[in-house]
Amino acid sequence: MDKQITFKLNGETRTIKVEPSDLLIDVLREKLGVKSPKIGCERGDCGACTVLIDDKSVRSCLILAIESDGSEITTVEGLSRTRLSPVQQSFLEHGSFQCGFCAPGMVLSATELLEKNPHPTEAEVKEALAGNLCRCTGYKPIIEAILALSSKGGKSL
Amino acid sequence: MAIAHQFAYLKPPTLREAVGILARYGKRARALAGGTDLVSLMCDGVLTPDVVVDIKGIPGLDRIEFKSGVLSIGALVTFSDLRDSPIIARKFPVIREMTGWVASVGIRNRATLVGNLCSAVPCCDGGAVLLVYHAAVLVAGPAGKREVPLRDWFLGPRKTVLKRGEIATGVTVTLPKKKHGACFVKLRRYQGEDLAQASVTALALAGNRYRISFGSVAPRPIAADRIEALLEGHPLSEDIIQQAVRLVPEEIAPITDIRATKEYRLQMVGVMLERGLRAAVARLAGAGPDYGTSLI
Amino acid sequence: MTKLKFVGESPNRIDGLDKITGAAMYVDDLTFGPDLLHAEIVESPYAHAIIKSIDTSAAEKVPGVVRVVTGKDFPYRFGLYMQDRFIFPTDRVRFVGEQVAAVVARDPKTAKRAAKLVKVVYEELKPVLDLAEALRDDAVLVHPDLGKYPRCAWFFPQAGTNIAHYRKTRKGDVEQGFKQADVILEDTYTVPRYAHCAIEPHVIVGLYDLAGRLTLWSASQSPYTQRHVFAQALAPLGLSHKDIRVVTPYVGGGFGGKAGVSMEIIGAALAIMVKGHPVKVRWSRAQEFYNTYQRQGVIARIKLGVTNDGTITAIEHTLHWDAGGYVEYGANVVNAVGLSATGPYRVPNVKIDSVCVYTNLPPGGPYRGFGYSEFHFGLESHITRVAQKIGMDPVEFRRRNAICEGDTLAYGARMNPSGLHEAINRVAAEIRWGQKESSKDPHKVIGKGFACFWKAPAMPPNAASSAFIKFNEDGSLNISASGMEIGQGYLTVMAQIAAEILTVPVHRIRVEPPDTDRNAYEWQTVGSHVTWGCGNAVKAAAIEVREKMFDVVERALGLAHDTLYVEDEKVKCRVRPDFALPFKDFVISGIQTAQGNFIGGPILGSGVFMPEFTSALSDPETSQGGHPNVHYTVGAAAAILEVDKQTGRMRVLKAVLAVDAGKAIHPGLVKGQVVGGVLQGLATVLYEDIRYDLKGKLLNANFTDYKIPTALDVPVEIVPIIVEVAQPDGPFGARGIGEQTMIPAAAMIANAVDDAVGLRMKGLPITAEKVALELHGIRYDDVKGSYMGLCFAGQPDKYDFRTTTAKKK
Repeated sequence: MDKQITFKLNGETRTIKVEPSDLLIDVLREKLGVKSPKIGCERGDCGACTVLIDDKSVRSCLILAIESDGSEITTVEGLSRTRLSPVQQSFLEHGSFQCGFCAPGMVLSATELLEKNPHPTEAEVKEALAGNLCRCTGYKPIIEAILALSSKGGKSL
Repeated sequence: MAIAHQFAYLKPPTLREAVGILARYGKRARALAGGTDLVSLMCDGVLTPDVVVDIKGIPGLDRIEFKSGVLSIGALVTFSDLRDSPIIARKFPVIREMTGWVASVGIRNRATLVGNLCSAVPCCDGGAVLLVYHAAVLVAGPAGKREVPLRDWFLGPRKTVLKRGEIATGVTVTLPKKKHGACFVKLRRYQGEDLAQASVTALALAGNRYRISFGSVAPRPIAADRIEALLEGHPLSEDIIQQAVRLVPEEIAPITDIRATKEYRLQMVGVMLERGLRAAVARLAGAGPDYGTSLI
Repeated sequence: MTKLKFVGESPNRIDGLDKITGAAMYVDDLTFGPDLLHAEIVESPYAHAIIKSIDTSAAEKVPGVVRVVTGKDFPYRFGLYMQDRFIFPTDRVRFVGEQVAAVVARDPKTAKRAAKLVKVVYEELKPVLDLAEALRDDAVLVHPDLGKYPRCAWFFPQAGTNIAHYRKTRKGDVEQGFKQADVILEDTYTVPRYAHCAIEPHVIVGLYDLAGRLTLWSASQSPYTQRHVFAQALAPLGLSHKDIRVVTPYVGGGFGGKAGVSMEIIGAALAIMVKGHPVKVRWSRAQEFYNTYQRQGVIARIKLGVTNDGTITAIEHTLHWDAGGYVEYGANVVNAVGLSATGPYRVPNVKIDSVCVYTNLPPGGPYRGFGYSEFHFGLESHITRVAQKIGMDPVEFRRRNAICEGDTLAYGARMNPSGLHEAINRVAAEIRWGQKESSKDPHKVIGKGFACFWKAPAMPPNAASSAFIKFNEDGSLNISASGMEIGQGYLTVMAQIAAEILTVPVHRIRVEPPDTDRNAYEWQTVGSHVTWGCGNAVKAAAIEVREKMFDVVERALGLAHDTLYVEDEKVKCRVRPDFALPFKDFVISGIQTAQGNFIGGPILGSGVFMPEFTSALSDPETSQGGHPNVHYTVGAAAAILEVDKQTGRMRVLKAVLAVDAGKAIHPGLVKGQVVGGVLQGLATVLYEDIRYDLKGKLLNANFTDYKIPTALDVPVEIVPIIVEVAQPDGPFGARGIGEQTMIPAAAMIANAVDDAVGLRMKGLPITAEKVALELHGIRYDDVKGSYMGLCFAGQPDKYDFRTTTAKKK
């Protein structure tokens, strides 16, 4: 039986009908057309489905859409519509992606980290990224991109 | 993989209503907090509840409180909340140490400690660590409230003492009266996130008293009563450590499964016990490796 | 020679903005409107069984179900090198998880529910789950009709057996060679299967429109080859290449797993069955593990003869491959190894037997390295052991025997120019080879391991590339080729090559993702060959564009063609220093003459590259006579490994890898391949661990129990080294390196473990658990429990390498 829910998605208030069994990842991608969170494993192991809910990174494949009634959801599409965020800019400059499939999740995890901790150590960066699997890069350029921001101490959003 | 079966979703605003729904539907209803366990099992089709009861609307369950030497952790407290809590960092650093090896940030932001205890998986990290603190689970049900010592909480893999209509509302941890140092050692297949192949929690109290628990080497997390009795009153020496290690096969009943062989678990628990005890005692003295340093 | 301006630089990737903003679209992101149908697969629970009946009636009645499809709708075979595979099998299933039917419905949940209602009755057959069993004279046959399958001319199946292909290479006389040796070492090495684990699962959308045109949107490395395989498979329905279009947007990682055709043909078939409606087939992560290609497992026996002064006299290398239920692609892995399993060494006497064996496990297929990672584990372990046996330093031994330009390869052709010595020397220096290191921790010891490697693209002799280039009004360029951007940076590299010829900067060049209707042909993006092959085509197209610009200038303005050159996006003239015509002024609109008419028009060019010097024709008994491999890319690698003697836990303190790229078009991307490839390689040796139950069912079809590296697992230090000894027929001297970077990992770690703790591990993976148990006197195989890692139940050193044909001889 459908229920109506309302939440903020990338700054815009959205109201939609969902079934209790609808997963947040599927609602975002199929009902709302937000494609940056990806389906990689459907078990919360790979992090490709990562979105920010109330500024915290979560696995949208393990969340029922109905649970996000009243919350604020951020995806990469909403990070900055006019310019790249500092995290995105640093990733671009450091070549922190290859196939790009894990990139949206990585960017969000990095964004969360720098918001909480503007000067993370290398160990803290690795811990923050540990739930986002990347098969291509070997992680080195991703870690370097975030450490570059760490030493600048700039804001991530 | 979508959830193929259909179910009703309820989000009661009070504990009493949640208990009422769970009592009415019994096994056909499931409580939902973080969802990292339940949603995954529903996607796989392993669990097909008719009713999902979201408890995130119940006030008062998301608090970490420390009053009169007792730490109370509500059912909605996530592993990230624990990791960020100044009280936990200061007074119960081994709990914080454990959270660093549970899953990853994105899971910790949702997964709850109490949910971990309710999942009752043999590799439950939260259960293993809380055992050394002689924790108790707070339960609310149709017959009222009760406290279950954690020692009595787990009945076996994925089985707890919760009765029909009951829900765990939190867990209490009593800070030992004496100074203590502790260490959580988690054996994983690599440095990345992993379920425990085995875990050892060692707590050393001033006055040469010890509390030890093991995870993932028995059907449930267990307290090492015999080893604790052996060590009681003795300062840590090479000899007593080796005696304790020799008792390990009597305390644990590891199996061979997809994650490890029982031979490896047996061998490693001995090594982890030794390293964990040394670290716990060193930390009691204000020295030793920083909490969060992996010893294996 | 003029200094290069764009080639050799490391600009930001041209697909960077797409990927970092979320703009990049992958197949599952594309929208097809409310008419999109969804499929759920009905799978076999048995490794080997006859399909007695399939009852789809209950499923068909479920509201929302549009069609249920089984093998009787498509009784045709398909395959890349041999047609041994079915879209849905009609007679029997050959691995657990094989697709038996598909339910197509209006939404995924309905499809999932209805699929459970399809009733299949099987008659179980004895599964072939052991290589020794598979090769017995009285073995159960996985493919009784093997003799009838169409195949390429250079594959040799043995009908009436489970031998799908047998590559024999014979050079010189190994018996004599072993007689000349002072020391001979012989041993057996084993490597289990591995999974690609690209983060994007396989997915395909197909639409067979009402006009009879079939379009596929496919997450593929090989759009043109997919079209070809679809056309062959669907020819009985009257379809040919003209009727089929394959579009491949961004792909979330391939590693070989998205080459060829595996699950994609299901999308094509279902589209045909629901004409007029688009239908999507998306694999779950579990299906990714058990119903796409896997990297084959292998048992290998190596016998190496050397003289006391460290010269290799002979090698005998026998490899038996667990290739799975279908080998239409995987047989080429076996073939490639059969030609190259000497490793990068000068060996006068060679005997290689590479045998492709059918088993009732998932199909083996292309995986980064294409068999070379698998044989290098044994070979490079063996090389170090042989060196130690004669008391020679293992690096010095490799220097002595390293193959050089002009040396004869195992199959008789000549080795290309390559910097193997430079790679060895630079790696040895970087790793401080020869200096023993120790840990402050009393439980830990440190060892070093070294390995060389090589690999050639394993392609048919007519694997061609082509490209179109056109200008736009603003002087920017579109390159239309069909190499695939799978993360390696192909788009940027093609842009750099065109930029170098035409002086248009990289950020003003677009490289279009493939569409078989609109883009020029490329065989496949595999084999680490597109920088070379497609790069040559793009270079040729750019040169044609340049020449056409000069033609137009000459015709319009009278300046001699051979006085013209390009610089800063302008045509300039050596004898007229004041002449500088910006491209944008004429590349669409032409040049206006003094009389007022316009000469020229849109400038565009095309280029084709075909390796016309290769041939796969050779003696089937010796492999002599052909030139099957275009060239080899070589390199060397080493690791410093810390081992905890109590726990077996291993930490890579430093990994160094040098690869000869010929010319690194984009050094940053080359280094990116080294860093990524090294970590993927380390994972295969340290913790990736595929396990089957004893009935052939994959037990760890998920990331919870098949561990791939996280950010926490990176080595403390990785040092990539680029060697550049030009490939004469490569664009600016370039050759490919993408696969090579993972090849040496397993052997260098095995050698490091031996150096650290004196344990010689001859089977993969080398987990902490195995090392810990071994160091305490327990053999892992004795206690591991009832699962199957390697497709052989016995002890590896008891494996009998004879095959039925050998017995017949």
